Amino acid sequence: MPILSAHLPSVITDWFTKRGWAPRQHQLDVLASYQSGASQLLIAPTGAGKTLAGFLPTLTDLADGRFQGLHTLYISPLKALAVDVERNLSTPISQMGLPITVEARTGDTPASKRARQRVRPPHVLLTTPEQLALLISHPQAELMFGSLRRVVLDELHALVTSKRGDLLALGLARLVKLAPDVQITALSATVARPDLLRDWIAQPHPDRQTDLLHMTGGAPPELRILETEERLPWAGHSAVYAHRELYQTIQRHRTTLLFVNTRSQAEMLFQGLWDINEAMLPIALHHGSLSVEQRRKVEAAMTTGKLKAVVCTSTLDLGIDWGDVDLVVQVGAPKGSSRMLQRIGRANHRLDDPSRALLVPSNRFEVLECEAAVEAVAEGHQDSEDPHPGGYDVLAQHVLGMACADPFRADDLYAEVTRAWPYRDLTRQKFDRVLDFVATGGYALRAYERYARLKLTPDGLWRIANPQVAQQYRLNIGTIIEEPMVRVRLVRARGLKQGRTTGPIGMGGRVLGEMEEYFFGTLSLGDTFMFGGEIVAFEGMKDNEAFVSRAFSKDPKIPSYMGGKFPLSTYLAERVRRIMDSPGEWGKLPDQVADWLRLQRDLSVMPARDSLLVETFPRGSNNFMVCYPFEGRLAHQTLGMLLTRRLERMRARPLGFVASEYALAIWGLGDLSALIRTGRLSLDELFSEDMLGDDLEAWLDESALMKRTFRNCAIISGLIERRHPGKEKSGRQITMSSDIIYDVLYQHEPDHILIEATRHDAARGLLDIERLGQMLSRIRHHIVHKPLHQVSPLAVPILLDIGKEPVFGEARESAMADAAAELIQEAMGER
Amino acid sequence: MPSPAAIPEPIETPVLRFAAHNFEPLPSGALYWRTRQTLLVADLHFEKMASFARRGQMLPPYDTAMTLARLETDLRRTGATRLIALGDSFHRPDSAALLTPADRMRLDAITEAVECIWLSGNHDPMPHAIGGTCLPELELDGLVLTHEPRKGQTGLVAGHLHPAARLAMDGRTTRKPCFVHDNRLLILPAYGSSTGALNILSSAFFGLFNWSALEVVMLGRDRTYPVPVKRLVGG
Repeated sequence: MPILSAHLPSVITDWFTKRGWAPRQHQLDVLASYQSGASQLLIAPTGAGKTLAGFLPTLTDLADGRFQGLHTLYISPLKALAVDVERNLSTPISQMGLPITVEARTGDTPASKRARQRVRPPHVLLTTPEQLALLISHPQAELMFGSLRRVVLDELHALVTSKRGDLLALGLARLVKLAPDVQITALSATVARPDLLRDWIAQPHPDRQTDLLHMTGGAPPELRILETEERLPWAGHSAVYAHRELYQTIQRHRTTLLFVNTRSQAEMLFQGLWDINEAMLPIALHHGSLSVEQRRKVEAAMTTGKLKAVVCTSTLDLGIDWGDVDLVVQVGAPKGSSRMLQRIGRANHRLDDPSRALLVPSNRFEVLECEAAVEAVAEGHQDSEDPHPGGYDVLAQHVLGMACADPFRADDLYAEVTRAWPYRDLTRQKFDRVLDFVATGGYALRAYERYARLKLTPDGLWRIANPQVAQQYRLNIGTIIEEPMVRVRLVRARGLKQGRTTGPIGMGGRVLGEMEEYFFGTLSLGDTFMFGGEIVAFEGMKDNEAFVSRAFSKDPKIPSYMGGKFPLSTYLAERVRRIMDSPGEWGKLPDQVADWLRLQRDLSVMPARDSLLVETFPRGSNNFMVCYPFEGRLAHQTLGMLLTRRLERMRARPLGFVASEYALAIWGLGDLSALIRTGRLSLDELFSEDMLGDDLEAWLDESALMKRTFRNCAIISGLIERRHPGKEKSGRQITMSSDIIYDVLYQHEPDHILIEATRHDAARGLLDIERLGQMLSRIRHHIVHKPLHQVSPLAVPILLDIGKEPVFGEARESAMADAAAELIQEAMGER
Repeated sequence: MPSPAAIPEPIETPVLRFAAHNFEPLPSGALYWRTRQTLLVADLHFEKMASFARRGQMLPPYDTAMTLARLETDLRRTGATRLIALGDSFHRPDSAALLTPADRMRLDAITEAVECIWLSGNHDPMPHAIGGTCLPELELDGLVLTHEPRKGQTGLVAGHLHPAARLAMDGRTTRKPCFVHDNRLLILPAYGSSTGALNILSSAFFGLFNWSALEVVMLGRDRTYPVPVKRLVGG
């Protein structure tokens, strides 16, 4: 911590004194660091005067009213936050009587105001990374930002692990070029590697000092696991057993925020609480599929203290401070300790009172995970994701944007982008390939020189070929790609019998919201599921709409869990393995769970910390293989895909598999126990790391997950447009064409820069190859095989998932073969 | 060394019987008419990716070559002496003139080796300078070959709609392009490597078919599969 003193003008000290307040230490630390000429990263839990800490230097600089032009640019991940800060900042400014103008700029700001802001900016502009990218792509960017002294980055931890962070880093590198005197202040929640975050903001101006400041003090959070009188479920994610106890907890608190991991869990919990809501408590629902107006209504009611509880997903992980929340509940797996800590931080923003949180595991494995999370939080251990190398797709977008701003020399732009932390190790060769991609697609077959978007002038400058290029760029800006969604419309039930669609469905019902299109690909007509707090039946699809009717059943048939967005963190997984491997610690677990583990020890073996347990047993007409890597659903899905391919080659005749956060179960016709016993199947070979070579390659060739990843890269990089001027391209059309583009490109140029970008993303993202690789190397020659006569206690949860969870897989040739056989049988009169 | 899959599938071509003629639906999406030694294909959409490039979207310029390779393989394997393309062979009216020299040479080799009949489609309504004959529509052995399907005519063979089917089996679905007919109207899947496909349960197909006589043949990796219509779902 730097020992410097801050200088506050009297108008500000008077304001504090008049209210009987004093500036907090961390607020003064930021000011002192700024006044010493440094940039700084402030690590502090949510709330507690962070906004003022960020803006005190600005108020100090501008107090005398002499500054002209844009002084401070504030960037947050949420436009709601920008608008909220505008409000929070205006109050002290007007109370102090300071001549400071503050304006927000988001996608909702009127076009005329946005145009004026470019020419005559306010002193303080509050905006998002996407708006920054737009602003610096204008030829007059230098005029607007030349005067800039400060950049304030809010909730930086939430940005740096995503492509929005890459875009922001590139934007910062440009800002530092436009305004060399600019100093950066970043605000972040507690993270695993604060030094990396400091480097992240220091990279654009390596000669400037960058301080790392920690806010000290604050009461430690109080975290406990729900002690239930009920029976803990073996599997599932609904936590129905806890609804009554949760309802009573809500009654005992002022305002409760209930976090779940998926939209369908939110639906189930919301419905469950209202089923028993005798006191008619105002309980609301908030998730990403509800309409924007609905969500705004909930947020407004929350701000004014009208709600007793809100059931929500990660949509409320960040955002406006709500002082009145006195309890945070996490229903279902906490997934990671940093994630948990940030959610807990949503309760009680008064610094000196502890935040209180309650964990509600929805099944027995989650009890272990919750226990691990409580320990990790007590030790203050952080397992947040580190910022990672930047994507080539985002770089391509930025390169085009910079060409729209001004013609550039490749040498200069290369030097500039390497001052963005995620691109600090970018080679010149890669940069040139990205530039070539932006200009003509970067193909080995030079077919598109005549259509080039960027042209190299004789004096060595890259410039856009025509003004339409800039227009297209501005319409495709940003890195947030929506899943293809369909509107869900409520219609009258048609009294469906078993059968098929024969005619159009009655139109004109109310739109309930939107849902991912791929979900409907798994439904049959008449299937029931939960949406918008009610149970509905699937009536059919037409173009971009799914039709549903009100269903009069109690239990939806399709749980539509689909997994959460985030996998179990490596750190919590390690702790869960340790708890299982330490029978001495089982005493602190609920009796039901401890008994379950003892039973596993007696009937099979416990998975040890550094090995992989593989159980094989017959059940019904199938043979099962269950393993327990604890590496998260995504890595397990990839493992499942690759193992099934191998088992097929080894003639073990696999039929399907299902993956959970903790385990993977594969079933098939071959007697796996016998194959292993007789040495015809070697587990060491089956699980050997070389599956990440040729097998992975062969699978990627046709993998739907790879295609989904490619689609995002293709849109972000500007290969395909997200919309045309005037007409929004539907998500469906983009999906279809991006799959085809992938096929054509992968077959002809598998080392194209965009395929490379897709591989990088897939390795970390949907396929989680990175983590799978680490696991395979950890368990090499440490596989414990346990043949059993029947299912083991530990395998029960994952076996219960079969039929409830989507059985994951690619389009199957055998499905068509089976259907064809069925048709022949039918024709022969055999059924 | 990897051994072959556990359950070997005999590679067989089902027979598609339509309007008293026997056809062989191939996994590439072509329909082979053995008694006439004629290969029927629909919706090649040559130069589709390149047509995006001129609007600033630099899609990979390899789709035409891929479609040509498919066509060469089908012609060689079947030994067809005649090729009939059911319209939308070129994505834009001027695409034929903008082929890369390499693609143009391959296409010329095909038109020299077999008799080619190019029916016009909505994407390529005018005759072009590629070898063979350009026609709006063709009557042959009681069949009418054309681009766009229409109602009320028997023996109509068309393309245009790019049909696909989604099959639900064992709780999972598989979506592939397909041949679809009701013995009066037959629609071929799109053959071009850059073409998407539309579910036959979607509104574009409403009213075209007599549902109770519907037959659907889906494209697999190495063969095609006739599938029960009651197994099909939307999306």
